[in-house]
Amino acid sequence: MEITYDSTVDGLRETLASTAGSASVNGILLLATPDAALLSDDFESVLRDLDVPIFGGIFPEILHDGQKKETGAVTVGLPSEPVVTTVSDLSDPETAFRELFDPDLPTRGYETAFVFADTYATTIEAFIEALFRTYSVEMNFVGGGAGTLEAQQPCLFTNEGVIEDAAVVATIPEPMEIGVNHGWQEIAGPFRVTDAEGSTLKALDGKPAFSVYRDVIAEASGETVTEENFFEVAKSYPFGIGRMAAEQIVRDPYSVSDGSMSCFGEMPEGEFVSVLEGDTDSLVGAAQTAHEHALGGESDPEALCVFDCVSRVLYLEDEFDRELAALRSETLPLFGALTIGEIANDGSGHLDYYNKTAVVGALSGK
Amino acid sequence: MIDRQQRIQALYEISLSIGPKETLEATADNALSGYLQKLNCSVGAIFQRTLEDDGIRYEVTATIPASPYGNDTLRAAIDHLPDTVDEQLSFVTDLPVTGATDNGSHYYLMELPDFGVLVLGKRGGEIDEITRSALKPLNEKLAEACRSQLVEGQLRTERNRFEAVFDAIPEPVANTVIEHGEERVKRVNRTFETTFGYDERTARDRPIDDLINPEVETATDGSPTSLHDGSEPREVRCETADSVGEFLFRRVPVDTPDSREYIHHYVDITSQKQRQEELERYERLVENLPIGVYRTTPGPEGEFRLVNGGLVDILEGTSRDEFQELSVTDIYVDPDERKRFSDQLLEQGSVDGVELRLQTVSGNPVWCEVSGIAVEEHGETVFELALQDITERKERQQQLAVLNRVLRHNLRNAMNVIRGNTSLLSDGIDNEALQAHVTAIEQRVTNLEQLSEKAGTVRSLFDQGREVNVTCDVSELLGELESEFQETHPSATLRIDEFDPVAVWADVRLKMALMELVDNAVVHNDQPEPVVTVSVDASETKPADSWVDISIIDNGPGIPDDERRAIETGKETPLQHGTGLGLWLVYWTVSLLGGEITIDDHPTGTRIILTLPRASGDRSPQAASVDAN
Repeated sequence: MEITYDSTVDGLRETLASTAGSASVNGILLLATPDAALLSDDFESVLRDLDVPIFGGIFPEILHDGQKKETGAVTVGLPSEPVVTTVSDLSDPETAFRELFDPDLPTRGYETAFVFADTYATTIEAFIEALFRTYSVEMNFVGGGAGTLEAQQPCLFTNEGVIEDAAVVATIPEPMEIGVNHGWQEIAGPFRVTDAEGSTLKALDGKPAFSVYRDVIAEASGETVTEENFFEVAKSYPFGIGRMAAEQIVRDPYSVSDGSMSCFGEMPEGEFVSVLEGDTDSLVGAAQTAHEHALGGESDPEALCVFDCVSRVLYLEDEFDRELAALRSETLPLFGALTIGEIANDGSGHLDYYNKTAVVGALSGK
Repeated sequence: MIDRQQRIQALYEISLSIGPKETLEATADNALSGYLQKLNCSVGAIFQRTLEDDGIRYEVTATIPASPYGNDTLRAAIDHLPDTVDEQLSFVTDLPVTGATDNGSHYYLMELPDFGVLVLGKRGGEIDEITRSALKPLNEKLAEACRSQLVEGQLRTERNRFEAVFDAIPEPVANTVIEHGEERVKRVNRTFETTFGYDERTARDRPIDDLINPEVETATDGSPTSLHDGSEPREVRCETADSVGEFLFRRVPVDTPDSREYIHHYVDITSQKQRQEELERYERLVENLPIGVYRTTPGPEGEFRLVNGGLVDILEGTSRDEFQELSVTDIYVDPDERKRFSDQLLEQGSVDGVELRLQTVSGNPVWCEVSGIAVEEHGETVFELALQDITERKERQQQLAVLNRVLRHNLRNAMNVIRGNTSLLSDGIDNEALQAHVTAIEQRVTNLEQLSEKAGTVRSLFDQGREVNVTCDVSELLGELESEFQETHPSATLRIDEFDPVAVWADVRLKMALMELVDNAVVHNDQPEPVVTVSVDASETKPADSWVDISIIDNGPGIPDDERRAIETGKETPLQHGTGLGLWLVYWTVSLLGGEITIDDHPTGTRIILTLPRASGDRSPQAASVDAN
C-alpha cells in the first residue's frame, strides 16, 4: 500500500501519475484539503486520464503519518482494483439508491467499502440506509461527509472529475477491522422529538426545541446559550439518538433560528434524544477505544485509516493532539481525514451516519 | 446492561416504524429497518407463511441484507423454517426460537401471528430475554399491519384488474356514485370519451345527466320513465360527440362498503338498428312482391322453409303456415319434374327462368318460371327461389302458335289456291280492263305471302331469345348487306360512309333488321333513283365508349306518322297502327339485342338510328359469322 503526502497540487499531479503507473497499484484513494486548483479543468483532466479507478474527497483537514494537515493531499495506492459506484443527485428524494448497488459484491469477495458523501446533500441518511439494507454487515463501511465548512462545492473525486451533491462507494476485497466511538455522555433527557423536519429540530416534548436545549445547558453548566453564542456553546453539547446496547448516535447542532435548531443529520420525529456532554478525557478515551477495537481483530493490518469528526478538533482544540496520539500506532502508517459527519459500522450492528465520532479502520493487505 | 427506559424508548421507536405503507413489501421493509436500527441488529428478515397442497412455504417479504442466503446468521435461522404441515405445528409451538452460529452471531425467530415469521440476527452480541419478550406486542402489531397490507394488496390487485377490464371494454362505460342525492361520474373509459366527447378529467364529479341525456321512453301507462330505473337493458337514443346514436343501455348497481356505485354500460347499436330497419324494409318489399319468394330444402322430399305472401297468392294458399305442412313435391303436377329440377339446381348451383308446370294447393295447374340458387346454410343445402306465374303468358304463346300456324300454313295454302285460280283466270281473260283486276289480285296474294313469311321471321326472332354472346364486325356485316342490296335492288344506290372498325354485341338478327330497313327505304321510295346511306358512329345519346349508332338515311317520303308513333310508343291501337310487320321486326330485333331504335326527320328523307352495345369484351364473346341464312 503506497501512501504519499503532497503539500501542493502540482506535486499531487506527479504523485497520481506515478502511483497509477505503479505495478502494485490497481486503485487510488485520494484525500485532499480544499484548494481551488483541485477544481480546475487541468486537475480534472488528470483524473480523467488515470488508467486506474480513483475515488476520494475534499475535507476540512486530512491526516497523514499521524499528523493532521490543513493543506495538501494524501494519495493511497491500493493493491486491488476497487469497484466504484458513483451516486448522483444525492439530494433527490426520488433516487432509488438500492437499485444502484450490486448485492452480490460480498459473495464475490469484497469486504470493505469506503463511503464518501457530499455533506451538504439532503438525503445522506436514506443513502446510508440503502447501503445497510443491501449489504448489512456483509461488508464493513468507513468514510464520512466531504466538503468544506463554508459552503457546498464539488468535493468528491472520481475518474469523471470532481463532483458535488453525490456520493462515491468504493469496495475492495481487503478486510478492515473498524472501531467507532465518540465518548459523549448523556446529561439530560430523553426528550421526545415532537416536531422535526429533516435535520431541523423544532420541538422537544411539545416545547420549542431551543428553549428545552437552553434550559438543559443552563442547568448543566450555568452557561446561557443564545443565538449569537450558539455555535461555540453547542459544540460541547450535542444530541444523542439512542440505540439498544450501543453508543448513542451523535447529532451536532450548529445553528438556531426561531426556536428551531439545525443539526448535521436527520432528527426523526417521534424518536427520543438526549443532550450529551463530553470532556477531553472521555473523547480521547473513546478514540483510544476505537483504535483498540480496530486493532483487536485477527487480521494483520497494514495501515490505519482514520475518519475523525472535524468538530472534535473544534472542541478539543490543542488537546486534539492527545486524540491523535490515541489514534496513532507506532508500527502502522496512518492516513485519513477530518470529516463533517462520519459513516461507519463496527461490523456487528447497524450502519449509521454519525457526528462528533472517531472512526478507526485497520486495513489489511491482500 | 440495558436499562428499562432505554428499552422502552427503543420499543416505542420500533413501533413508530410499524404501520401500513404503499405495499406489503414496503410495510415489512420499513418495520424491519426499525427493528434492526433500534436493536442494533446486523441482519433480519420477514417471511410470509403460505399453506400449500404439498406443505408450508415461507417466502421472503423483506430482508436485510438484500441477499439473505449469503449471510451465515440468516441462513442458520432459515434452516429452522419448516417444510411440512407436521413440522409447522411443532415449529410454531416452539417459537420464539433462539440460536447461535459458529462465529458468535445470535439469531432469533419470532412468530408474526397469522402472517409468518420475523428473524433478527446480531453479530457480536445478543438481544436480552426481556427485550425479546417485550417485542411480542410489536410483532403482533407488525403481523396485523402485514395482514392488512396483504388484504389491501389483494383489493388493489382486484381494483387494478377491474380498471384494466374497465378500460378494455370496447363499449362506452361510466362509473357513477350517488352523492347528495345526485348521481355523479367517477370514471369513464376511453371509448366513452371517443363516443360522447367527455374524457375522464372533464367528466369526473359531474352529474351523469349533464353528460348524457337520452330520449326518455314512455312507460306503458303513459308516464315517463327514468333512465335510472331498474337495471334491465333498454334501448335509448343519445346525443354523441358528433351525431345521435342508438344504444342498448344498462345500469348495473355495485355495492361497496362506502356507497352504492353504478356502472353505466352503453352498447352502440346504431348500425345494428339501421341494418334491422333495412331488413324490415326489405322483408316488406319481398312480402309485397307479386312474385313468389321462398326457400326449400332439396330433393323430392324437400320442405318449405320460408314463403312470402306472393307465393301463397300464386299457389292459392290460405296462409304461409299452410306450406309448413306441404312437401315441395306437392306443388308439382309431375313429381318427377320436381326431382329433375332439384337435381339441376344442385348440379348447376343456380337456375334462371326454368318453366315448370306446377299446381296450386287446391290442385289447379299453373305455369311458373322459377329462378334461384342453392346455398349452404348451417351445414345443409337450401334453395332460395323466386317464382313467377306465367300461366297467362304461356296461354298467349299457345294462342300465338295457333295463330301463326293458321297464318303461315292455312293462309299460305289458301293463297296457293287463289294464285292458281287467278292464273287460270288470267289465261282465260283477254279484256285488258279485267286483266288489270286479275293482276291486282295476284299482287295482293304476293303481299299476303310476304306477310306470312315475316310472321314466321318474327317468331324465329323471339325463339332465339335475348341472350347474345357473340360479337359482330360491323364493317363485315355492311359489306354483306351491300352485296345483297345490289342484287335485290340494282336500280337503287346504297352508300356506306367510311367508319373506324367497330364490333357490336349482335347475331344474325341484326343483318335481318338492317336488310329490312334498306328494303323499306327502297320499296317505299318515290324518287326516280332511291338512295340509301348507312353510317356508323359512336353513340350520340348514350356513353360513346359503350354504344354504337348505325344510321340508315333514305331520300324517300318519310315514314307515315301512325307507323312512326306506334314504333316510338311501342304499341298499336285500332286507330294508330302500321301498315305491316317490317318496322316492328326491326324494333323487336333491336330490343332483343339490347339496343334502341330512334326515328328522325332528315333533310333528304328519314333517318333511323339503331343504337347497339359496343363489343367491349365484358361478355364471353364467341366468333360470329353473320349470315342472314
